[in-house]
Amino acid sequence: MSSTERGNGMAAGPDDGTGDDGASAAFVEEWRNAAYNCYSSGHKFCREVCPVMQVTRNEVHTPTAFHANVVAMEKGLLSIEDVARDYVHCTQCGACELRCPNTLYTGDFYRFRTRTVQLVKAVRALAVDSGIHQPGWQRWVEETDRQKSEPVLGDVPVSQEHVRDWAAGLDLPVGGETILFCDCEGAFHRTSVPRAAARILQAAGVEFGLMREQWCCGGPAAEMGYSERAREFARHNVDDWRAVGAKRIIVFDPHDYITFTEDYPSYFGDEYDFEIVLFVELLAELIRDGRLALTRPVERAVTYHDACRLNKRKGIHAAPREVLRAIPGLTFKDVDHVTQWSYCSGAGGGLPIERPDLTAEISRRRVERAAALDVDTLVSACVWSERPLTEQRGALEVMDLLEIVALAAGLEDAT
Amino acid sequence: MTSILVTDPVIDELVAICGPDNVFADKSSRVNRARVPAPFPVHRWAEHVPDVVVLPTSAEQVSEVVKLANRHRIPVVPRAGGTGLTDGAVPLRHGIVVDVKLMNKILEVDLDDRTVTVQPGINMLKLNEELRQYGVIYPDDPASYPCSLVGGRIGTSGWSLIGGRYGHTRDLVISFQIVLPTGELIWVGDGGGRKVRKSSTGYQLKQLFMGHQGTLGIVTEAVLELVPRPEAEFAAFFSYPDYETAWRSTGALAKSGLATLAGVVLFDEWKLDYLRRDDEAYIPQPDDVRCVVATAMYGTTDEVRPGAKRLLRIGKETGGAYLGDEISQGDWASRHDRYATPLHGRLRDGQVVPMSWHCEDASINWSKLPQVRREWHDIVARLGDRFRIFDDWGMFAYTNGAFKPWGDYLTEIDVGIWEQELDDAAWDAWVTAKRDIAAVAIAYGGSISACHGACREGEVDLVPEELGGAGTS
Repeated sequence: MSSTERGNGMAAGPDDGTGDDGASAAFVEEWRNAAYNCYSSGHKFCREVCPVMQVTRNEVHTPTAFHANVVAMEKGLLSIEDVARDYVHCTQCGACELRCPNTLYTGDFYRFRTRTVQLVKAVRALAVDSGIHQPGWQRWVEETDRQKSEPVLGDVPVSQEHVRDWAAGLDLPVGGETILFCDCEGAFHRTSVPRAAARILQAAGVEFGLMREQWCCGGPAAEMGYSERAREFARHNVDDWRAVGAKRIIVFDPHDYITFTEDYPSYFGDEYDFEIVLFVELLAELIRDGRLALTRPVERAVTYHDACRLNKRKGIHAAPREVLRAIPGLTFKDVDHVTQWSYCSGAGGGLPIERPDLTAEISRRRVERAAALDVDTLVSACVWSERPLTEQRGALEVMDLLEIVALAAGLEDAT
Repeated sequence: MTSILVTDPVIDELVAICGPDNVFADKSSRVNRARVPAPFPVHRWAEHVPDVVVLPTSAEQVSEVVKLANRHRIPVVPRAGGTGLTDGAVPLRHGIVVDVKLMNKILEVDLDDRTVTVQPGINMLKLNEELRQYGVIYPDDPASYPCSLVGGRIGTSGWSLIGGRYGHTRDLVISFQIVLPTGELIWVGDGGGRKVRKSSTGYQLKQLFMGHQGTLGIVTEAVLELVPRPEAEFAAFFSYPDYETAWRSTGALAKSGLATLAGVVLFDEWKLDYLRRDDEAYIPQPDDVRCVVATAMYGTTDEVRPGAKRLLRIGKETGGAYLGDEISQGDWASRHDRYATPLHGRLRDGQVVPMSWHCEDASINWSKLPQVRREWHDIVARLGDRFRIFDDWGMFAYTNGAFKPWGDYLTEIDVGIWEQELDDAAWDAWVTAKRDIAAVAIAYGGSISACHGACREGEVDLVPEELGGAGTS
């Protein structure tokens, strides 16, 4: 007896799900072959490396399910309403893409790469376009739109008026060819990170300025599915850079780095000709060239938390380690970057807004792994990871790489 | 959700047993627990969707769920990794899926008596990451090593790539707890002691439940073997100009008597052609390389070093050319995920299409491998003549014995299927081909399945024939 006859709600057919919905149909058409490439291999090697799945153990939170849903939508078994909430459960860390055999072994030849992160973003955008909102994300984006910065301080409002407060007393100019972009978490919450960044640049003799009016990069809105809103933020920031004659943008936040090197080029095409410089790579260069001297011993035993967007999304894992190894007095107990594919703080992709319980547990496990190494400090190069990691830190201290470098460079006034 | 099987009061009872956070009746939760990798008639997905999913956290909860299902006459399907290939984790008649993934704790590491006690939802790679600090491993190494779970390994009576050295799942699981269809909890092993490997007391019930495919119960806890983390690994790949030479060499290597030899794998000509479809998946080889044999050894350095010398000598003396350290080490290291990729799918005119990987397996004695290989390829060729969506991806033969890798072989033929174009006629032809493949295995005195299980449409029809007259041909 078929399920349709038995009526367990699974009547299938092209007219049942996506047939009369143009947005869903276009989405399915765009993703159907990529979805089949995952669906049909069935390896599922992504699963145990996924930081969310490691906690929830729920099959609907897996990259496999994220792809299989597209096939199910094509078959009329599922609709965007059925699956939108599942796609909250992703930090967009990119581990699953790396662990995918399709990417690992044959992707280059076939010009194919498993793009789970893009798929998750696309489904979230389809949900928003279909009028399906996650309440926390909706509030977050609306508030960001109102204040032009993310509401990182909860009930304490943020505003344009205070977006440069972190730089008080540092005497930083506005404008110039090189702009230091400060993300929202650094600008309002962990201000010691941008202060360290600015002081390091000053000490190394790098000329730079701040934006006239800095808005949120728009990356979080794009990650949560509010793509039109994200473009508005991007448009403003690019116009502001253009207005002050900027050519280079320095970013210390890996999330900004993704936004500026992946999202903005997709928005603006050839018009977008800015050089995007990742702070930690510049920092390694400054130290290597002797432009920044690290002379003060830092007597700490540390391990390094590979920021997902650097290590997994961009393949950047050498520069932070090079910097740490240049710090005198430091005992560095490293965990290799491949092992760290399955590590995460849980801070990305909007997860802490919708599922703070999962972010807390992912961070707790990350800190536990660090504590087992018998270190006193967990160093990260991602300012967004540092709040949840700090909340779970136990006996450990959580420091940003730039904070610890500022100490080694004798720039205590930075923090 | 509208279900006539699992009514709301039943869901209320399930919530009372497992808690509100661990009972799922939404469409997505159900649809995503309907399938395993392959083969799966995707156009008939709806027929396999369960009515409700539970994620219990204890054996007691599993027991209560099974008792409830019994009272209401609702089918129950246990699901671990869902990576199996013969529907053990697929709900054939809807009902309740008992997903054990939340039961993934390590309960005890006993370094004195060399066991680790785990729940069924733990993955072997994750387990071994934890065991690293103790200098031991749990050496169950299927192709799905990074994602399959202990419960499913018991459910399918799994096969391990290094079973020639360390044994397969049935040898490595010392005892386990299982919830019977009545809801009763029992322990089965070799004798009564949970950590005893060999007993002559009574019947050996462990092997009755090993490979249960979800039909005899739900495993809730298992005591596993620990072995010393090997000091040395040595892999050697050899190439051959023809199948006959490669096959004879495989036999000679497997029969070498080298105690550290973990396995020998024979790649046939079709497999080499498949791997040559691009230059990324397999390092290019001259055209006269028609077959490959892979070997691997594990043990102490004192054993592996001299063993490797003899292994290389046997390979060369029997016609093999050593393929070098890079291929040998690299390919063996990526053995879990290198050899089946949907991106290689081709129509006969060369067009690349996304194809599903489907794998048929059997246990075949060494002496019968050449005949079985010919007949299996013929079956798939005839299938391809009728339906363009089928593509022959070649065959592997892996040594199948535990601790002594000779005698019979896990024999696999990989078939690509373009599922986007699958319909009832093509599916029926595929099921017939599966039956034909199984019939060949039986005809040559083999067994329908070495590791996947024999419970799918097609092959399952022939199980009575195999077990009713095993060994006859």
